[in-house]
Amino acid sequence: MDDNNKQYDVIVIGGGITGAGVARDCARRGLSVLLLERLDYTNGASGRNHGLMHSGARYAVTDRESAAECISENMILRRIARHCVEETDGLFITLPEDDLAYQQTFAEACRAAGIRADIIDPAQARALEPAVNPDLIGAVRVPDAAIDPFRLTMANVVDAQLHGADALTYHEVTALIVNQNRVEGVRARDLRTGAEREFRATVTINAAGIWGMLIARMAGVTINMFPAKGAMLIFGHRVNKMVINRCRKPANADILVPDATVSIVGTTSDRVPIDTVDDMRVTGDEVRVLLAGAQRIAPVLASTRILRAYAGVRPLVAADNDPAGRSISRGIVCLDHEQRDGMAGLITITGGKMMTYRLMAQIATDLACRKLGNTTPCDTASVPLPGSGQPQQENVRHTVAFNAAKGRHGTWTERISLDTEDDRAMVCECEGVSVGELRYALENLNVHTLTDLRRSTRLGMGVCQGRLCACRAATLLGRINNNILRAQADLARLLDERWKGMKPIAWGATLREAQLTATIYQGLCGLDKAIARKEDEQ
Amino acid sequence: MSFDTVIIGGGLSALTCGITLARAGQRVAVVAGGQNTLPLFGGSMELLGADAAGNAVEHPLEAIAALDNHHPYRKIGAERVAKLAGKAKDLLDDASIITLGEATRNHYRITPLGMTKPAWLTLERMATTDRPDRLPWTQVVLINLSGFIDYPVDFVAHGLRQLGCEVAVADVTLDALRKAWRSATQMRATTLAKVLANSQALKQLAQAINAAVPGDAQMVLMPAVAGIENDDVCDNLMAQVQKPLRFLATMPPAVPGVRLNSALKHYFQMLGGHYFLGDAVCSATLERNRVTGVRAAKQPASWVANHFVMATGSFMSHGLEADQNRIFEPLLGLDVNAPAGCDLWGRDGMMGNQPYMSAGVCADNTFHPLKDGNPLHNVYAIGQLLAGHNPMVMGDGTGVAMLTALAVAEDILS
Repeated sequence: MDDNNKQYDVIVIGGGITGAGVARDCARRGLSVLLLERLDYTNGASGRNHGLMHSGARYAVTDRESAAECISENMILRRIARHCVEETDGLFITLPEDDLAYQQTFAEACRAAGIRADIIDPAQARALEPAVNPDLIGAVRVPDAAIDPFRLTMANVVDAQLHGADALTYHEVTALIVNQNRVEGVRARDLRTGAEREFRATVTINAAGIWGMLIARMAGVTINMFPAKGAMLIFGHRVNKMVINRCRKPANADILVPDATVSIVGTTSDRVPIDTVDDMRVTGDEVRVLLAGAQRIAPVLASTRILRAYAGVRPLVAADNDPAGRSISRGIVCLDHEQRDGMAGLITITGGKMMTYRLMAQIATDLACRKLGNTTPCDTASVPLPGSGQPQQENVRHTVAFNAAKGRHGTWTERISLDTEDDRAMVCECEGVSVGELRYALENLNVHTLTDLRRSTRLGMGVCQGRLCACRAATLLGRINNNILRAQADLARLLDERWKGMKPIAWGATLREAQLTATIYQGLCGLDKAIARKEDEQ
Repeated sequence: MSFDTVIIGGGLSALTCGITLARAGQRVAVVAGGQNTLPLFGGSMELLGADAAGNAVEHPLEAIAALDNHHPYRKIGAERVAKLAGKAKDLLDDASIITLGEATRNHYRITPLGMTKPAWLTLERMATTDRPDRLPWTQVVLINLSGFIDYPVDFVAHGLRQLGCEVAVADVTLDALRKAWRSATQMRATTLAKVLANSQALKQLAQAINAAVPGDAQMVLMPAVAGIENDDVCDNLMAQVQKPLRFLATMPPAVPGVRLNSALKHYFQMLGGHYFLGDAVCSATLERNRVTGVRAAKQPASWVANHFVMATGSFMSHGLEADQNRIFEPLLGLDVNAPAGCDLWGRDGMMGNQPYMSAGVCADNTFHPLKDGNPLHNVYAIGQLLAGHNPMVMGDGTGVAMLTALAVAEDILS
């Protein structure tokens, strides 16, 4: 990668789940690949969704094609990404204010799309899922599940790298290199050093989510995209065993997903200007909508602590003959800009959903392979991701550190050094993250900041939202990178980022936690002064 | 049961008030709902570190006149603050907590990140300096206890170097301490302090320190992980270490804070005070702007008293509560000075000047809290429950806690 003149077959722009999936697919077919991510992996919509592994049921009535794609990918992910998936199943419930007749339409549409849909008795639903609103008058059981998008993305990146791909995070594409209507590569800025570099490839694949419209613009190509903000709330502990949806036309706040130790309600949908997508903030109105919806699904949520509020941006694409975006599909969009715009060497893969990332990657890679004359077939639907393979040996290490990490890294946990007491020391007690696991992430998972560490290990994602673990991890980061000032600045950034998600819901226990954390870092430690001093020194 | 005074809350403010009243012969109850905030105590009381705008204050007493007149110190009055500050130091002395420092001029404590912060009274044996930008030593050896991750030794070393000091870090490994690893709670400062209460373990530590510290070291600094029950352990260690030794604050739970808490509690009980831990006052009877009785959850009947003191703290101590729309005082429904609505009480950036930090109960000049605009005659509010100051910005939290407690105790006794 140090060779500036290296010519790649493919450059993939975007380190979300789609870009990671494309990089994996390309690398496995023997193409030379460079994956470029502006910030950290999963920084966009891939890291800001509710972690629902759709069965496709949600789209069955309105978009059968998407529904069929979902169920097919759902079954594939259960095989190839076992360590990222929790097979919870899901319920679509009808409440007294809903039309029970819709249930029949829904179940039939599911079956037509190939999705198992069992209409069950409300009493049986209450027994299966004690958290469900007991007033329900109908329920349909479908094969929804929960999936960890951070883990899934990392597993794809790791597999791409295992097959020779290069991957660079904190590299922002600033320009496409265009020569006589052909994209020949990209110019990228290393955000940590400020250095600009050029990377060349025969094919450039734009997988940058909503930011993809800006990438396309760099080649003078217009993609008609509509940023759609979706807000979610995370509750402080897990109240539901199964995914619970409302059995009605998709609307706001109608899905409750159990994710590991928490529950997440989503979502809203509002178009926002493209220039706001880098700093999404959840509004008071969105919080009220989500809370009201959540309480209809599971009444206990009225008195459950809210951990944080966050929002992602869906990359919705309008058809080329629909510039106002009146009838937007959630289907996969793969654009061959050579045919569409006369701009060779550029492919955009967008639209779709996290659920269908693998299929999106396959479609984009198939197209790239045709351009490159590569005929190797796609194998990503059958080969398990790193971490989901068969365990090499019977696991005899039953430490807390190992077992917690196993949930995150699957069979790859074997690679984490947990041999000494120092390695097994708990950094984050909420999520069971040890010194050894942090070191593994810092050395192997392209981790540069505490926020990156959070994504790759769940550090600071628990109920205390990074109170003491933040400082412990910052110490380790400072030592490994040999840069104390940066580690302290990073610590303050992590706290600010945690607070950003707490501020819209800063009442009750959340405000208590925030005050406690601020009292420790500002009052006891004087971290605010350390940051001010750092700014002076520079 | 009946008392002269019932104090609701069990932190620094409650115990200071309780001790003063019990010492004067009152029958006093302190109802400590749960854990207080003393485990966050870095080893120093602070009187006033900055004005409301965050400008550093060097001479706290001189700066009081310029504070907003809602600030608790303005209600007490600058002259009386000076007197009460002396009494606070004496009270700590009597509780066998020996401190160094003056109300007339701040000295500076060293934080767990190696920063300096203004201080008023610091526990003896803790490292301090008399200027924010300079240390009293030119070279120190920093003891790092291997595997103790609640003491960011690299940050401390960096901070001390910024202050112009030569710093060497000496790693010390100790079998006795390694045993603390195997417990589920892992290596916390308080866990280590319990291990070091054993004189054999302490001796091993002293030997390990002596072996790790070079002969020309001027000062040895180590994390405050000794002396959770009394100061003898610290003195013992200082006697066995061949070089001068001082302690530095750790991340919570902080041993000096736990020690301060138990010393005050012990002194209060020794004076005949009634201390109810793990109980919480859940209701109160109000008649014509007076509280006539309170009910604690685990008690069979209501308590009556001549005076009631609210020392229930801020949000993290449950003295204040917030829901989506408002900040309120949950026990008596006292008037609260706070921004209306969740959107207004938080600002971007976790640290900095957060409006919710200055939220609190409104009180008259003698700390009678207001309810519907009228003062409650036999009720007082003290400590972090009070509005009118932001301890994060002003560095006045422990000072307000102790001085409002002393002012109110005097008022009750007169």
